[in-house]
Amino acid sequence: MADLREEFNTLKLERIIGFNGSVVGGLKMHPDRKHLIYPLGCNIIIEDISKDCSQRILSKHTDEVTCLAISKSGKYLATGQVTHMGFKATIIIWDYARGEPIHNLPLLHKVKVEALTFSCDDRYLISLGGQDDGSVVVWDTITGEAICGSQAQVKSAGNTYCVCASNSKADIFVTGGENTLRVWQLDVENRKIRPTDVNLGGLKRIVKCIEMVDDQDPPYFFCGTTTGDILVVNMDSQRLQFVVPEKNKFSLGVTALAFVRISERDEHLNRDGTKTCLPTFEFLAGAGDGELGEYKIKMSVQANKVKATMVHKQNAKPWKDTSFKNKCNSITSIALRGGGHQFFVGSGHSQIYRFNYAEFKCELTKTCHSKQVNDAVFPFGTSELIVTCQDEEIRIWQLSTGKEIRRHVVSNLTCNAVCITRDGSSIYSAWADGKIRAFGFDPKTSNIVDKCVINEAHNKGVTAIACTSDGRCIISGGGEGQVRIWSVQENYDSRGKKVYRGVLVETMKEHKGSVSAIKVRDNDKECTSASTDGTCIIWDLEKKVRSQIVFANTLFQCVGYGADACHIVTCGTDRKIGYWETFDGSLIRELDGSLAGAINALDTSPDGKYFVTGGEEKLLKVWRYDEGEVTDVGIGHSAAITKVRICPNQKYIISVGQDGAILVWKFPNY
Amino acid sequence: MSLLDEGTIYNLIAVEEQKRQKPPRYNSKFKDTVRNESTSNRNEHKTMGQAKVPVPTTDNYLKKHSKEPVLPNKSDFKYGDEDHKKPALPAREEKPLMGLKTTKNFITNNAVQNITSVPKRPEKKYVDTRNGDAHNLIPSGLEPIYVQKKEFGEVPTYLQKRKDEMIQAQEEYNQYVSEYMRRGAMQKLTEDERKAILDGLKTNWEDIHDQYQGLSVVTDTAPKKHRKERMESQMKQLERDIEIFEKHKIIYISN
Repeated sequence: MADLREEFNTLKLERIIGFNGSVVGGLKMHPDRKHLIYPLGCNIIIEDISKDCSQRILSKHTDEVTCLAISKSGKYLATGQVTHMGFKATIIIWDYARGEPIHNLPLLHKVKVEALTFSCDDRYLISLGGQDDGSVVVWDTITGEAICGSQAQVKSAGNTYCVCASNSKADIFVTGGENTLRVWQLDVENRKIRPTDVNLGGLKRIVKCIEMVDDQDPPYFFCGTTTGDILVVNMDSQRLQFVVPEKNKFSLGVTALAFVRISERDEHLNRDGTKTCLPTFEFLAGAGDGELGEYKIKMSVQANKVKATMVHKQNAKPWKDTSFKNKCNSITSIALRGGGHQFFVGSGHSQIYRFNYAEFKCELTKTCHSKQVNDAVFPFGTSELIVTCQDEEIRIWQLSTGKEIRRHVVSNLTCNAVCITRDGSSIYSAWADGKIRAFGFDPKTSNIVDKCVINEAHNKGVTAIACTSDGRCIISGGGEGQVRIWSVQENYDSRGKKVYRGVLVETMKEHKGSVSAIKVRDNDKECTSASTDGTCIIWDLEKKVRSQIVFANTLFQCVGYGADACHIVTCGTDRKIGYWETFDGSLIRELDGSLAGAINALDTSPDGKYFVTGGEEKLLKVWRYDEGEVTDVGIGHSAAITKVRICPNQKYIISVGQDGAILVWKFPNY
Repeated sequence: MSLLDEGTIYNLIAVEEQKRQKPPRYNSKFKDTVRNESTSNRNEHKTMGQAKVPVPTTDNYLKKHSKEPVLPNKSDFKYGDEDHKKPALPAREEKPLMGLKTTKNFITNNAVQNITSVPKRPEKKYVDTRNGDAHNLIPSGLEPIYVQKKEFGEVPTYLQKRKDEMIQAQEEYNQYVSEYMRRGAMQKLTEDERKAILDGLKTNWEDIHDQYQGLSVVTDTAPKKHRKERMESQMKQLERDIEIFEKHKIIYISN
């Protein structure tokens, strides 16, 4: 990558819209209270929240980052990743200030690093392997060498999911998982770690998160379980003390815990005259169903026994994002800013919320795609808005602010492609259930509303869609290889309301493999479809017949018109970019588009002088059309690029990836 | 496809939202009235009425015309100046009282009076605009009145009088002080008196000295010792006094 930077100009990255919410505890606040750290695919993003939201990207991992830890002092940042089956996963310790890796730790964990934590004096890093590995390793942060390691759990227990270091002692840490909860004592001289199992009695729990509060008196640590309760364990005696709440457990488990403060302490006089201190812990707890609440865990004496009760803060109800109606938007991380006056909450649906602790007021600060972004389009003639589609959502973004402004959800289905009519009144979308759904806009609220559905448009799912400039004609491509032409007709129903209907005009059966892209020529008389069977067909839309066909030994992924629609440009899995004559379908030129992987996306600039490509290489390349040379390279994607677009006024390039990120680049000026 | 009844994606392009200027807050002109009424009439409705409402008496039934407005009594019309009006002139046919008739020739009398009278001096006026608006000169302060006064520039008499009083008071005070000093001043010893005192002292000293010389040589007892010491101290005191009197020729005695 270093030589790429020297060889070509790098594109200026304007903004990244992305956050991987599925990483447990992935959203972290740096101790300087100014920077938010979160993973996105195989990158780590450090965002300055104090003023201009500038982002720093740390990219050294080769696959998705699975865990993230910051040392107490904020000097170090440790990240672990997942890798392919049978290989060993990397852990990197970064120097936070410079943003450079200090140590690439030797590969010890198989496949996945499950969790990471720093000891309270930054001296050691404790890492936990995934389910294929099941070991816990203690590393020296200064030398970057492993001190010792051990199996994380006894053989009868299940996987271990989380690790948390003590806040007061550097040589103690806790691991928790399926029916296992262990306190480990590190013996550096003998290079040994010795576990003590916490006796849970008859309880069987799967611990998903641990919050350490052992710097307070009495020293406790709190474990959130999938059952939906919190285990309170005394660190001194290593015994389970309380299980809260007894009833009304958190639904779908406690997924995130954050200790805020001890609000009050009750002195209790024992029988023998000694005094015990009964504190009340204030906690933020997030559940798997997306509920977040401020809870008080209060210790009190009832009938000569110390009991713990867990109650929600008075005069308030747990918060839940109401925009997710039937979905669980699990809370995966809670990042306290400083003492906890403000905190950030990351959810499984890749949303980041900012809360004010005192008023418990929520503000949605960031929404991102949580899954692969399948398509992205600009409305005709404007660079202000982007329409993207993900798994089951269509979203509209404002480019200038990077904010999501509209969203439409069709549950449990996948949207493969979208297109917008020129007048902007309709969005046609291609869905994996074989339907074409057309959406309109509410005249008052501009919300996305259903317009019409073409059922059974393709029997193996609709994979590509395009429409003519008047918006009356839809050309769709399916997984089975057919290209169909539909006309949208409008009628009035018995109540005088406008209804739309898609009528099949023509079915063109030429492709053998699924159609990956369709492009309509500007004059609406011709369109091109690219297919994974290695053909690219130019169709005559007036006669509804094939006019030209091109063959190549590749799976074509994308196609575009170039040179005033005299050429078509194709790209595919053979890493080649081909220029073809539309007149006779002959190959004019072939370029090596990438060194590493398939080229998934291509878009030609409005002035016809440039085109951009992106693919598995994770690089965005800007090419001169006539010369066929790369002028600029954009580095920043953390997963394969699925779509690239140049905005209509040629100011920005946007690229979307498999990790759900939307990257906005500045178009180079020449 | 009519776009009027259909929204488009372009509606979502954020137009810079102009903040509506807030009109100034409405202030009712009845605000004060309402406030006063609400505070002043509050006590009337403080309770929910009397605890037991008295039953209307039987003699207090509704009477005829009792609900009509009561008008003031009618009174005759009078001019306001009737009490200080002069009596009306006598009529032409009216006979004078007792047949008296004056012989005074009013015409000549008036003429003579006017001819002989000193003409009235014209009032002093000044005109300040070209339209000729005239104003009295005297109260305007434009005429130099005070400069023309007889005593202008002199020290006013009251000041002179005050000055004289002050000088007199000072003199009286001085006199009093000197008198007081004279009365309370120290007496000076005359030469004769001094001499007499000096001689007296010396004789005293000689007396004691004689006694002292006559004392026994041995002072063995305490009384003897005391006596000798007393005499020595007396003589010493006298010697000191004599020395003072001889040294100073002029001696004052303080009172």
